[in-house]
Amino acid sequence: MAAVQTEQVNLTINGQSVTVPKGTLILDAAKAIGIDIPIFCSHPKMAPVAVCRMCLVEVEKMPKLQPACAVYVAEGMAVRTMTDQVNKYQKGVLEFLLINHPLDCPICDKGGECPLQDQTYQYGPGASRYDFEKAHFDKAVPLSDKIVLDRERCILCWRCTRFSEEISGERELALIQRGVHTIIGTFNDEPATSNYQGNWTEICPVGALTSRQYRFISRPWDLDRTASVCPGCSMGCNIQIDARHNKIGRFQSRENVAVDDSWLCDRGRFSFPNFQRKDQERPMIRRNGAVEEVSFDEAIAFTADALKQAGGQVAGWASPADTNEEMFLFRRLFREVLKSPHLDHREGSVPDTDPDDMTLPIADIERLDHAIVLGGQDVIDAAPVLHLRLFKSQRKGVNVLKVAAGDGKQALDIVPAEALAVGVLATEANKKAAMDLQDKLQQKVKGSVRRLIVTTGPNGRGAKDLGILPHFAPGYASLNGQPGKGRVDWPGAALKALYVHESSPLNAFSPSDAESMWLPKLPLLVFHRFKPSPVDAMAHVIIPGHAFTEKTGTVTNMEGRPQRILDAIDAAWIREDWRVFMAIANKLGADWRYDSVSDITADLVGALPAYAALNHGERVRWGERS
Amino acid sequence: MPLKPVLTKDFAMENLEQLAVYERAGGYTGFKKALEMQPDQLVEMVKASGLRGRGGAGFPTGNKWSFLPKGVYPRYLVCNADESEPGTFKDRYLIEKSPHQVLEGILIGSYAIGCNLAFIYIRGEYLPQHEALETAIDEARQAGYLGKNVLGKGYDIDIILHRGAGAYICGEETALLTSLEGYRGEPRLKPPFPAIKGLYGKPTVVNNVETVANLPHIVNNGAQWFKAIGTPTGAGTRVWCMSGHVNRPGNYEVENGTPIRELIEEHGGGVWKNRKLKAFQPGGASMMVLLPEHLDVGLDFDAIAKAGSLAGAGGMMVMDETTCMVDAARRFVKFFHHESCGKCTPCREGTFWMANLFDRFEGGEAREADIDLLLEIGYNIDGRSFCPLGDASTWFPRSVIKFFRDEFLEHVSEKGCPFKKPAVEAVA
Repeated sequence: MAAVQTEQVNLTINGQSVTVPKGTLILDAAKAIGIDIPIFCSHPKMAPVAVCRMCLVEVEKMPKLQPACAVYVAEGMAVRTMTDQVNKYQKGVLEFLLINHPLDCPICDKGGECPLQDQTYQYGPGASRYDFEKAHFDKAVPLSDKIVLDRERCILCWRCTRFSEEISGERELALIQRGVHTIIGTFNDEPATSNYQGNWTEICPVGALTSRQYRFISRPWDLDRTASVCPGCSMGCNIQIDARHNKIGRFQSRENVAVDDSWLCDRGRFSFPNFQRKDQERPMIRRNGAVEEVSFDEAIAFTADALKQAGGQVAGWASPADTNEEMFLFRRLFREVLKSPHLDHREGSVPDTDPDDMTLPIADIERLDHAIVLGGQDVIDAAPVLHLRLFKSQRKGVNVLKVAAGDGKQALDIVPAEALAVGVLATEANKKAAMDLQDKLQQKVKGSVRRLIVTTGPNGRGAKDLGILPHFAPGYASLNGQPGKGRVDWPGAALKALYVHESSPLNAFSPSDAESMWLPKLPLLVFHRFKPSPVDAMAHVIIPGHAFTEKTGTVTNMEGRPQRILDAIDAAWIREDWRVFMAIANKLGADWRYDSVSDITADLVGALPAYAALNHGERVRWGERS
Repeated sequence: MPLKPVLTKDFAMENLEQLAVYERAGGYTGFKKALEMQPDQLVEMVKASGLRGRGGAGFPTGNKWSFLPKGVYPRYLVCNADESEPGTFKDRYLIEKSPHQVLEGILIGSYAIGCNLAFIYIRGEYLPQHEALETAIDEARQAGYLGKNVLGKGYDIDIILHRGAGAYICGEETALLTSLEGYRGEPRLKPPFPAIKGLYGKPTVVNNVETVANLPHIVNNGAQWFKAIGTPTGAGTRVWCMSGHVNRPGNYEVENGTPIRELIEEHGGGVWKNRKLKAFQPGGASMMVLLPEHLDVGLDFDAIAKAGSLAGAGGMMVMDETTCMVDAARRFVKFFHHESCGKCTPCREGTFWMANLFDRFEGGEAREADIDLLLEIGYNIDGRSFCPLGDASTWFPRSVIKFFRDEFLEHVSEKGCPFKKPAVEAVA
C-alpha cells in the first residue's frame, strides 16, 4: 500500500494563506478556506478534465489563466480568483455556454437546483450579445426506460460519460460528433441498460438528463426533503426522500462515503412508487366469514384476545424492512408477553448467522489486496451499489476476483500467500461456501481474511442482531436450549396463530406452497402491513401499518451500520406500528410505557450496548471476534 | 540568392523514393553513423545543432528528447505527418519525394531516445504518401534497416504506419496520441506532457516530418555545420509552402533568415497578374496577417514572432490587392469552427459564434458593434481554450481587424462585400 502523503504545501489564494497536502487541486484548496470557484465539469469523484473552462483563475507567474479544477497547488503559489480578468472571463464563458442553451428554465425539471442557472445568476452576464438562431438538437430523447435526454440543454461537461467510464465502468454513454455538433448518446442509439443511470441525472449540471419518473412532477423548491435510507437492499445507501403534497417525488442520494460513496442504483432509486399510499384504510376483522371495518382500538382488543387464546402456540414474522425499534418490541411481545420462541424474518431457511459475517466493512474493500466476490453477479444483484465500490477498488489496484459460488478453489489458487488483506463477499445463500473459502484462505495467507455477507432487505442485519430468529437471543446470544421453530417449519408445527408484520412491498411475506396450504387452516392470522396483498384474503385481522418511508427509527445495513430513517410521508390516521405492539402487549398484562421512538431506541441501546454505535454513526461491533 | 537546399537537394533525382536510388544519393549513411554513436551523444549533437521543431511551435528538438525520464521503457517516437494546417503541404512533398529520408530520420531519432517502436501518424487524405511510406517501410525492412538487430548492431526498431481519419485536431500532439490509441481525437490535459506520459502512458516524443528529415544531414555533416546554416536562433533551412496570389506557388526550401521578399518575389515570381501585394500569412491559417511593410523580415521563428506573427508550419499564403480580408478571415474562422473538437467551451461555442458573425459581414447585415464583439469573443477564446486550436482560431481574424478595420466598416456601410467575388469559392 502507498504511504500516506503528508507533505504540506503553503500558498495564498486572494491573499489568504492556506496550507494543504501536496497533491491538492487549487479548487479544493480554495474550498478549504471558503473561497468558491465556479465549476461545471469538475466532480470530486472523477479525474479532472478541465473542459468547461469555468474555473479559470489567475496564478502568479503563469501567463495564461489556469483551470483550478486541474492544476495542483505548489509551494509559494499565489492564486487570485476574483480579479477583473477572471470576472470578465467568467461572464464570457457563461455567455458561451448559453448561446446554444435553450434557457427554458421555466419548464425545466432542473430549474431551481441547476448549477448553470445558479452560476449564471452569480457570475454571468445579465444579457447575451448573441443574436443568431441557436444550434438545434433533439429534445426529449429517451435514453432508456428511466432517463430522458435533452440535447439542447446539454453543456458537454462530460460528467455522465465519465461516470459511465470511471465510476460504473460500463462505458455506455459516449460523445458523438464533434465541435458544436457534439452530442451525448449510446452506441447506435440503443437503449441504455445500466443499473446506475439515475446517478447521471444527479451529476448533470443542467437539465439535460432527467428522470422519466420525476419528469414534470415538481419544482425543487416545492419539495419536502427528508433524510432516510434506501429500502432497496441491505447496502443501506443514504437517500433523501423528496415529497410533494405528501407524495414521494423521487429518491435522491445523500452522500455517505463509508456506505454508498454518493451513488445509488436504479433499482433502489426508482423503487419509490412501491411506497406510494393509495387509500385511507381502516383495520378490518373477519368475523363469521364476513369482513368488517373497525377502529384501531377494536382491532387491537380483538387481536390481543385472539393471541391469548392461542397460548404460546403463536409464531411471529417481522419483515427485514422493519425498524430495529419495531423488531425490539416485536421480540419482547413474543418472548416476554406471549412466551413464544417462534420468531423469524427470513423467506426460507438460510444458514446460521453470526457477527463474523460483517468483519469486512464496505469501505474497506478499497484497502484490500484481493476481493473475492463469491457468486459473482449474484452478489452485485443483491446489492448493486457494491459494484461501484468494487470497480473503484479495482481502479485503485485491488484484485477483484469474481468466481462462481462453487469455484472457491479457483480464488484460493490465485491469492498468493503474501497477501495481507483479503476479503470474501457473498450472499446469505452462499455463506457456507464463503466461510469454507475464508478458512482455507486464512490458512494460506499471511494477512487477514475477512468476510461480508450480503443480507436481505434494508434491515435484515438488524433482524439478526435483535434476535428475530428462532435460535438466537439479541446480540447472537444463546437461547439456553429453548430454540423455537423457524419459518420453514411453521406449517407442520401445530401452531394456532401467526402474526405477520410487513413494512415494505419489496420485502413482503410471500407464502410458499406449503404455507399457502397451511395458512387457510390456521385459526388466527394477524396481518399487520403497509400495502394490501394476496395474504389479506387469508387474514382474520388486517391492521394497516406504516411504510418504510412513513416511519421513524433505525435500520442496520449488511456491514452492521445502524442508520436513522425519518418519516417522509405523513400517514397520521394510521396508528404507529410500535404503538400497536405496545397496546397489544399492555392488553395482555404488560406495562410498557414508551412515549416515542427515541424511548425505544434508548431502551434498545440499554439492552444491547453495542448499538450505542448508532449515536456515533459507526458500525456495531460484537466484541471484535474474528 | 540561389537556393541552398539541404532536405530537397536531391529531389531532382529520378526515383529517389526507391531505396537503391536513395542509398546512391548517400541515404542511410546517417543512420549507420548514428548506430556507431552512443544515444546520449546523438541527443547532445542534436541539441548542439540548434534544430528546432518544424511542426509549428519551434521547440528545440534535442531538449524535447532530453525530457524523457531516465530508465522508463518502453518509450515511443511518433512522427507527426498529420499535416492539416490550411496552406501547408511540405510534409506531403518530403514524404512523396523521399520517404526514406523521413524513415532514416525516424530511425536516428528512435535510436537516440532508446525507442524500439516508432509510429508515423499520417493525415488520412494523404493516400499516395501513405502508399509511398508503406513501400519504403517494406523496402527498409527487407534491407535490414528495420526489424530485430538492425545492421547487426544489436538495436531493434520497427515502424508502425497509421492513417488518421481526417480531423485537424489530430495534428495537435496529445490529440494525435489519443487518436493513435484508438480514442476520439481530442487533446489531453497537460501536464503530464507526452515526454512523461504519452502514447499508452509511456514516455513519448512527437516530432514533425520535416524535423526528423533534418536528422540524417545533421548526423552526416555535424552539429556545427547545421548550426552555421540560417540564423543564430534558427539553424538550418525550412521548406516553405507558398500559395495564393503568386506566379509560382510551390514548396521552396530556403535558409532560415532569408527575407520574405526574396521568397515571394524571387522564388515565387512575385504577385500574380501584376497586382500589388496586400497581405500575407507566414505560418498557415492560424497565424496573424503581415503586411507589405514586413517583407524584409527574415524567414525565421524569432524574426517573424517579433514582427507580430508566427512562422508556424511554414505555410506562406500571399494575398493580392483584390482580396477581401473580411472574407479571408471568414474562410479561416469557418475552418476552425468546422474542425473544433468540441471538448472545451470557448473553442466550441466561440468559433461557432465568430463564424456566424463573419457570415453576417459578408451577408451585409453586420453592425459596427459586431467588429468589437468579434474582438471580445476572440479575447474570451484566446488563452482560455483547452488547446491551441481555439487560441489560434482567433489570431488571424483579430489581426485582420487590427490592420483592416476599414474593410469591416465598408462591409457595414455598403451592406455587403465591396470586393468582387471570385467565381468559385474554395471549399474549406
